Amino acid sequence: MDTTLPQRFIELSLYSLKTVQNQTFQLNQQTFQQTNSLELHPHDFQLKLKPILLKAKREETIVAAVDTSSMKIGETSTGILIAVRSATVWKQNKRYKYMRLGPFIFHITEENKREVYNTLQKAYFNSPQEHTYQGMPNLVQMPTRIANLLERWLQTMLSKTLSSSLILFDGSLTSGTGDTPTQLMKEILTIAKKRNNRILAFSKMTNLRVNGHLITEVLPLHEPPYLLETTGFKPKSPIVLLGEVYVAKLTQGNYAFRLDIDKEVSPEQKVEAVERLLANDLLLQSYPETLRLAHILCTFTANEVIAMQHFSARKHGLRIVNRPDMHRLLFGPFGRGESNS
Amino acid sequence: MKLYKKEGNIVQILSFPNETVEKGDYLLVEDADARKALIVQVIDVQFASIPGILEELLRSLPNGGELIQGEDFDPLEIAPHITYIQDATLLICKIRATVENESLSPNSSWLPSRSQSTIRKLPIPTLLKLAKVNEQLPIVLGGTKESSLLTIDASSLDGRLNIITGKKETGKSHLSKLLMLNLIGYKATVVVFDLNGEYLSLGMTADGKRNAHHDKIHVLTPSQNFRVALKQPNLHVLLGILIHALHLPGTSAREFRRIWQSLKERDMLNMRELGEAIRNWHCNQHVRDALFSRYYALANSGFFTDETAETMLLEERLFKAKEQGGAIIINLRNTSSIDRQIVVEYVLGKLVELLTSWKLKAVFLFAEEAHLYLRETYWDDIVTRMRHLGIYATFITNQPDTIRENIYRQADNIFLFNFTNEHDLEVVSRAARVDAETVKSIARDLPQHHCLALGKVVKDFPMVVKVKALDVKTMGETRLFFKGAC
Repeated sequence: MDTTLPQRFIELSLYSLKTVQNQTFQLNQQTFQQTNSLELHPHDFQLKLKPILLKAKREETIVAAVDTSSMKIGETSTGILIAVRSATVWKQNKRYKYMRLGPFIFHITEENKREVYNTLQKAYFNSPQEHTYQGMPNLVQMPTRIANLLERWLQTMLSKTLSSSLILFDGSLTSGTGDTPTQLMKEILTIAKKRNNRILAFSKMTNLRVNGHLITEVLPLHEPPYLLETTGFKPKSPIVLLGEVYVAKLTQGNYAFRLDIDKEVSPEQKVEAVERLLANDLLLQSYPETLRLAHILCTFTANEVIAMQHFSARKHGLRIVNRPDMHRLLFGPFGRGESNS
Repeated sequence: MKLYKKEGNIVQILSFPNETVEKGDYLLVEDADARKALIVQVIDVQFASIPGILEELLRSLPNGGELIQGEDFDPLEIAPHITYIQDATLLICKIRATVENESLSPNSSWLPSRSQSTIRKLPIPTLLKLAKVNEQLPIVLGGTKESSLLTIDASSLDGRLNIITGKKETGKSHLSKLLMLNLIGYKATVVVFDLNGEYLSLGMTADGKRNAHHDKIHVLTPSQNFRVALKQPNLHVLLGILIHALHLPGTSAREFRRIWQSLKERDMLNMRELGEAIRNWHCNQHVRDALFSRYYALANSGFFTDETAETMLLEERLFKAKEQGGAIIINLRNTSSIDRQIVVEYVLGKLVELLTSWKLKAVFLFAEEAHLYLRETYWDDIVTRMRHLGIYATFITNQPDTIRENIYRQADNIFLFNFTNEHDLEVVSRAARVDAETVKSIARDLPQHHCLALGKVVKDFPMVVKVKALDVKTMGETRLFFKGAC
């Protein structure tokens, strides 16, 4: 197994922390939510309300999922301290197993962010794909970007190592964004297809609407499990959609999710993949347990945040200071706090 | 350790896994700038309320209650830090005193700095030294958790009311024996009401040989080697027996007084003449019947005799003990309830008589399960009037509710063994010398033979001690049916 990226993560993590020895840092527990604001809802976008009915296909299949979390754990006078962690979960022989990488802690400054990001990208893409300073994500975006890099690398590894399995992604199959180049996403899908793996990308949130309604809320009165097909979704350049978009309502209840499945796979194979998921994973509230576990295992709890702050203070001599919250300071009880503003 | 919170006289201290602190331990919270320190005692150890802990625990059991199997690749080794935070504990501590210029005061009106204070364990010997617990007449109670000895001063039992309580088989009698033997070692006079014959062999070692105390232990068994002639007790003592132990009504008591004086004037005070006098006395038939029934109760007890040679003078033993120190063990085992009360009335009456006339200086009285033989009015008498006369009582019981609340309030020292029952703890917590939280929290977790010493013996710094073993023959063991059968 290729371990280049985690190795680079460790090296960079340690290196970046060395540069911040004995500084003070400001605590911050604000989490960065991954948002997908690039989705559009063009006029010719449609949702077919005739459901594609599904029947669990009892064929022993490994179900695997990847998720990553990132968090800013504090600020220094020159930058931010961030933590990144990933979790890979798979269900095999009716048992869930996991592999967690991290947490990796980075000290990101305006000075080193380019070096850190480019080094990681280089390790991942195996080719120089350096960002110019202008093309670089800003400090606030760095945690998500680094987490995405790790997530894509893990997804690639799963595609390469598994065969005839289901690989669940958290999010959509859109590409062409800063952290998901189209070429890279295509490669992942191609490798997966070659090894007879099927990729199912579940989005917890979607902005896609038909007639003003979210696609996950326009559901026919039919017994689940079923899929609803969409047509006419063409995102604007440079965004490229590499999957077909469905609405998946897999269990009873009010929940349905946007599900992207590789375009290059035949419609029968797409449906069959979801039917195999129904038979091989636990589904609660229409959401696969494997993906839920991956999310749960990588998410940082408040306890872990304190532990990482403790680690930074103990191992790297960072002194914790509480910088005044200007909102609170100026507006008292009417100040909602900077993190909430 | 870090100071977290203070509410009233309770402080909460955050402690980390590498700091081993347990209930009962003392901590010193030093504020160098204020040049003062707080002495606090840990009365409870709780998990610190760590944010996210619930998520952490839930996450570890997501697979239908089974632990999910997996691997963690943690290159920066943050997991130990997570465990470190998760296992942090919150010490609930009671403020006991303030140290300023090496002297103690009960002041808890100041607050040490939360950020600058240093917190460390305060060893018991250091605390005893600070509290100036005298060791002129040392009694080694046993060992503390830190393996140091807890030594009290015998004079802290002098003139005091003590209670030893705890549930069955926790070591109460053992401690009372230890206190008693140490007191007689300092030439004190001790009287023990021994309900179960547990103190009879205190003069013997565990292997049955005579020990150093042998000549100082005097066992008096009523009706056997402890009998009295009617003329020995004065009228007051005998009336006490008749009225309190045998419930003689007032009218009959008046007639008895006349009979007694009549017999005394004729120097005919003995059981046979008393019986004859009652028979021939001119009085109401009901009074006569009442006097006769009490007379027979006295006669049947076997405690009173007309044979002068059989009488044993309690005074003699007490005077001997006064010279050399010694314990008079009143063996109440196999004695009926009425006879027990007769004997106890007699002994207490005699003690009061001797103390009032200054023939005795003071007596340490050890009373096991006193509610079984001590009349209601004696409780107040012992803790108030008799204390001034020189009877210093130590009550030993496994039923704390048999001792009245006012006794707890006036107790100077309490030696508390394990109790798990809420009701029992509630009763003991009414003692004036300690707060209810300390009693309830610490006593519940005391192991066997460990006691929480409260009161003047420890200068009001509650301390847990493992009572030291005694090389004496034990007699208080429960008789078991299956013992030796397996």
